[in-house]
Amino acid sequence: MARKLDDIFNECYERIRFGENLESVLRSYPQYRSQLEPLLRTTFDIGRRASFIQSRPEFRHWARVRFESAMQYPRQQPPVQARRVEAPMSSTWLRHGWAVIVSIGIVIMLGAGSTMAASSEALPTEPLYPVKQFTEEVQRVMAVSPERKAEFETDIANIRAVELQAMANAGNAAEAAKAAVRYDDQFERAVQTIIAAEGTETPSEVYVPPTTTGPIVTPPLETPPAPVTPPEVPSPAVTVSDNATPPAVVVPSDNTTPPDTSLVPPETEQEPPTVIDQQPPTTDKQPGVTEEQPSTTEGISTIEAQPSVTEEQPATATSAGSTKSSRAKELRDKLNRQKSTVDQALKDAKNKAENKDKPDWQDIRDKINTKRAAVTNTSNNQTTAQSDNKTTPSTDSGNTRSRHR
Amino acid sequence: MLSEEYLVQQAINGNQAAFTQLYNQNFDRIHRYIFVKVRNRAEAEDLTQDVFIRALESINTYKWRDLPFAAWLFKIAHNRVIDHVRKQSKEKRAPLEEAYARSVEDPIQMTERDYEVYQLKMALEQLPEAQRDVATLRFIGQLSIAEVAQTLGKSEGTVKALQFNATASLRKALYGKLNG
Repeated sequence: MARKLDDIFNECYERIRFGENLESVLRSYPQYRSQLEPLLRTTFDIGRRASFIQSRPEFRHWARVRFESAMQYPRQQPPVQARRVEAPMSSTWLRHGWAVIVSIGIVIMLGAGSTMAASSEALPTEPLYPVKQFTEEVQRVMAVSPERKAEFETDIANIRAVELQAMANAGNAAEAAKAAVRYDDQFERAVQTIIAAEGTETPSEVYVPPTTTGPIVTPPLETPPAPVTPPEVPSPAVTVSDNATPPAVVVPSDNTTPPDTSLVPPETEQEPPTVIDQQPPTTDKQPGVTEEQPSTTEGISTIEAQPSVTEEQPATATSAGSTKSSRAKELRDKLNRQKSTVDQALKDAKNKAENKDKPDWQDIRDKINTKRAAVTNTSNNQTTAQSDNKTTPSTDSGNTRSRHR
Repeated sequence: MLSEEYLVQQAINGNQAAFTQLYNQNFDRIHRYIFVKVRNRAEAEDLTQDVFIRALESINTYKWRDLPFAAWLFKIAHNRVIDHVRKQSKEKRAPLEEAYARSVEDPIQMTERDYEVYQLKMALEQLPEAQRDVATLRFIGQLSIAEVAQTLGKSEGTVKALQFNATASLRKALYGKLNG
């Protein structure tokens, strides 16, 4: 029954949809009129209400525009679509991946750079101090040339001195002690690099000949001493030069190469009396010539005949050496200027330390001062020795030295 | 007037004018159908545009022998509404919007019509889902029994039964009584 009524209802509804009126449709099924009529009227009402649903004119317009754009889009962009189909997702990522990687790199570098810059003023008690130390290590590796190394280590020594002073001023005895140790190590490192930058050996290996002015570092026994002529002492070479004493052939200034003294007679005996009188007492131990050196008698004419050779070779070396020496002297001066800062810092730290710790602080001061004095003396000797080594090491070659000057 | 089948074939072949005509023929009823299924006008407008864009993108896959074009279009709309309602059910659904008939100049008449549309939507919401789907497609979308059956994947007999019961339920919901 109900099933049949479904069909009848649907048939009536369809007939009304296609233009028949309600009364005509109901007349076809008079037995169901009471059931069909209210339902069919309901469908009319639903349709009437639904007809009130109208889209906004602006929505209709923009929806149409969008639809037409969508229709035209595939025709305007076929190559792009083809490429998208062909290109796998990984290649798409790779196309933009480099930009992402570069951006990340820039952010990291900026962040690291900012942190490193901020750490440059960090003190040992501050969180960024390890970053500062790391930055210094990186800079240390990047300083390739000996000169740059010397400058860098000297600068770092200055920084360590400032840190020591800051910790002492803050009354932080423990950190001041650590800072003192760090300064001590850095000072030693700076001196080592300065000496290396001069092209000489480390202080423990350096032979410093006895001089008339500077203190003497114990020379190795197997190494013959070189004569040292202090700048302020009138050089006998001047006299020799005036007397046209032939210079000896200059041997490269390598103190570690012991000349074969057995083959070379002591030339001081053949020097003119004026030369011998003004010669430092150590010159008789320093032959300063090699087996290639001509005898004094022959050398007069030989060297006079070849003065240019003797002059030119050491002249270049002396020029470069003097530049190195002056730079080394500047760095040493810089280190020495820290002395007052460090002394005051150590003094302050000692004063602020507890009584039981005062002996320890005195030990630190003594240790640093002793090391500084030793290194300073060594450096002075080294400077003097190097100055001489860049000229003729022999008293007989005083003529050559005078020419260089 | 060109037949719908011919227009569809032309649209498949890339004839934009043919597809535009199909668009014009179906725009209002698709919009009405979606409007009574969702809560407010903005959602209905977005979904309506989306239905036609999707139809345009997949017109090449359409085959007339499988489904009439209107049924295919309403099927897209039906699935799109289901997705939308499912997504909305996870969030907080917007309140049912009353006012809609903006084209009427008389404010009183406009308000009355808005209320009648609101009543219709409320009555449809009270129906079981199967009856609501049939009633919406049949009375709002104006599809035939065969098209509704194909759209919903049901037999025509089932659709007729659902239609009859839905009409009776709507009458009760709208007027509070089954007869009269």
